[in-house]
Amino acid sequence: MLVVAPLRPAHAQFSFDARRYGMGGVSLSRDGNVRRYNPAYRAVKNRNHVAGAPKFSIPVPIGLIDFFKQHPINQLGHDPMFTPESAAFNPAALLNTIFNPPIFYEVKKAPLPTNDVAFTIGRNQLIIDLGATKVLIPEQEFGLGSTSRLLDLGVGFAGFHVGVMGFLQYDVGFTLDSTLRHFLVSDSTALPNTAYFVNVDGTAQAGFAPTVSYAGRVLRGAGGNDSDDGLYLGGALHYYLGATYGRGIGPAGFTTGPAPVLGSTPSPLLNGDLFTSNKPFGRGVGGDVGVVWISGPFEVGAGVNDIGAELTWSHSKIQHFVYDNAGDSIATIVVSSDTSLKTKLPITYIGNAALHMGTGTTVGGDVVNSGRGTVIHVGVEQRTGPFAIRGGVSRDQRKKMQFGFGGGLRLGPIGLDVGFFTHSNSLSTQRAITMATAISIY
Amino acid sequence: MKALAAALLVLVAACGQGNIILNVDVLSFLSASDSTTQYNVIGGLPPVDSTVSRRFSLPPGLGKSTVDSISANFSSQLQNATGGGRVTLEVFFAKSQGGLFTGTPYLSDSSGHVTGAVTVPMGTNSLRLADSVFTTDSLWVGIRARITTDVGPNMTGQLRLTDLHVRVVLKDKII
Repeated sequence: MLVVAPLRPAHAQFSFDARRYGMGGVSLSRDGNVRRYNPAYRAVKNRNHVAGAPKFSIPVPIGLIDFFKQHPINQLGHDPMFTPESAAFNPAALLNTIFNPPIFYEVKKAPLPTNDVAFTIGRNQLIIDLGATKVLIPEQEFGLGSTSRLLDLGVGFAGFHVGVMGFLQYDVGFTLDSTLRHFLVSDSTALPNTAYFVNVDGTAQAGFAPTVSYAGRVLRGAGGNDSDDGLYLGGALHYYLGATYGRGIGPAGFTTGPAPVLGSTPSPLLNGDLFTSNKPFGRGVGGDVGVVWISGPFEVGAGVNDIGAELTWSHSKIQHFVYDNAGDSIATIVVSSDTSLKTKLPITYIGNAALHMGTGTTVGGDVVNSGRGTVIHVGVEQRTGPFAIRGGVSRDQRKKMQFGFGGGLRLGPIGLDVGFFTHSNSLSTQRAITMATAISIY
Repeated sequence: MKALAAALLVLVAACGQGNIILNVDVLSFLSASDSTTQYNVIGGLPPVDSTVSRRFSLPPGLGKSTVDSISANFSSQLQNATGGGRVTLEVFFAKSQGGLFTGTPYLSDSSGHVTGAVTVPMGTNSLRLADSVFTTDSLWVGIRARITTDVGPNMTGQLRLTDLHVRVVLKDKII
């Protein structure tokens, strides 16, 4: 059988599945994360293995409706949220929108700190009192990052698949230097001749990868050919062809002058390196492996991606940039105009398990690392007639516990699912609660 | 100073809708000669002024902000040695140097009539709401000592400023 695979968008942690949110993030379907990270699932029939589950769901983005009601599209150009020149511009609100896209409705928004921030400024002292906002000052690195596969196009025969996948990996991390952190949280004065800075390390690379893969059922289970029972193995070999790459590292902040601390103007501190590809086709080889075992009501799988994926960029440029206080500008020095650099794609993985108890109860869980920390989900669904109730817990990338619950109602071929879930994606110490809604088609 | 202020304000930009309060020790930025005035004024002359003015760079963006309130206070010590008369100390704020020492001072206090060797403490405070003078990226501070002497011997001594603080409360974001 020759199959032309469709363009398939990458499935990241974000989902439109209200049922999944209601189960604390666990997905009981065989698409999404399991198929993205476990190549063995390519051989498993992509049918929903939960009795009575819908064929597919259509998200109802109530959050978008509410968002555009507050921020009309025809006025976005003048919207204070997106206009830094506006006196009402609040970077925290904008960041929260980025971290937490308003697809679904926020039942309980995470409150932004509203305390006063006081500066005490004198020739011999500079003190910042952030008040309750101090708790937001991170002790460890914080940032954003992900590895995505933007497309997967190819043909397959007898378990083998030849195609091309696109990849995009980015990671931006910020770490407050200990002196800056102490300055911000201790209410003590800045010291003379001291650097206060944030270490920044940002990388982005993208390209495509011709891929040869295999996925198949190597052992059949007790259920025979008519069931999905059996042991599945999958593997993929990628030849990465990077299109572009960039990385910037270095501190950004300011340095105070000799005593007294504000006796002279503190100087901006910017001193880092920029690595960029001059030409495309950074090359490298890597692979994915995966395994799935299905036995009656029990299913377990594991997959690892981008093993050994190191790209060599033969034509790269290294630049050093530093803030020039004399010229009040950023000076750039080309360290090497054409050199060879190597980058790595982070290893990503998933482990998943589900048990269907036969009484309408399904328990599942997964462990996913999409390139920036491990996320754990555990959830349960109970179906009774047209009703379904769900609940679950998860541990997010920041190792915070989150909770989900929800329900569903089926009326003939159509159903409505609602899932409530907590998250800590906002700049706040408190969790927000979001309501996801979807129409299910049976 | 601007670079520092900008960096700090970016750091606290994520602090929601709370007020930003700037407590500025203005006196610490003045030199010893600015904060201490030695006087020797012939008796019976019309009032003589001794002035000091300094420019301060404020955090960029203040010009776009809404100032909720300004409170200021000063204290000083008049140490008169000879002669008699009165000393009035006044503090002005303005967006330009040309605008200093015009209009009503922000702070003003008089020593009252003094004669001979005497030490008199002086000081006062004030509170103003929504003053547009502080919605600027640079601010001029002016201090004026007005000395009015009695007919008679020269009035000599010194006037020493011991404290000058300004507290600016901003209602909204300033970047």
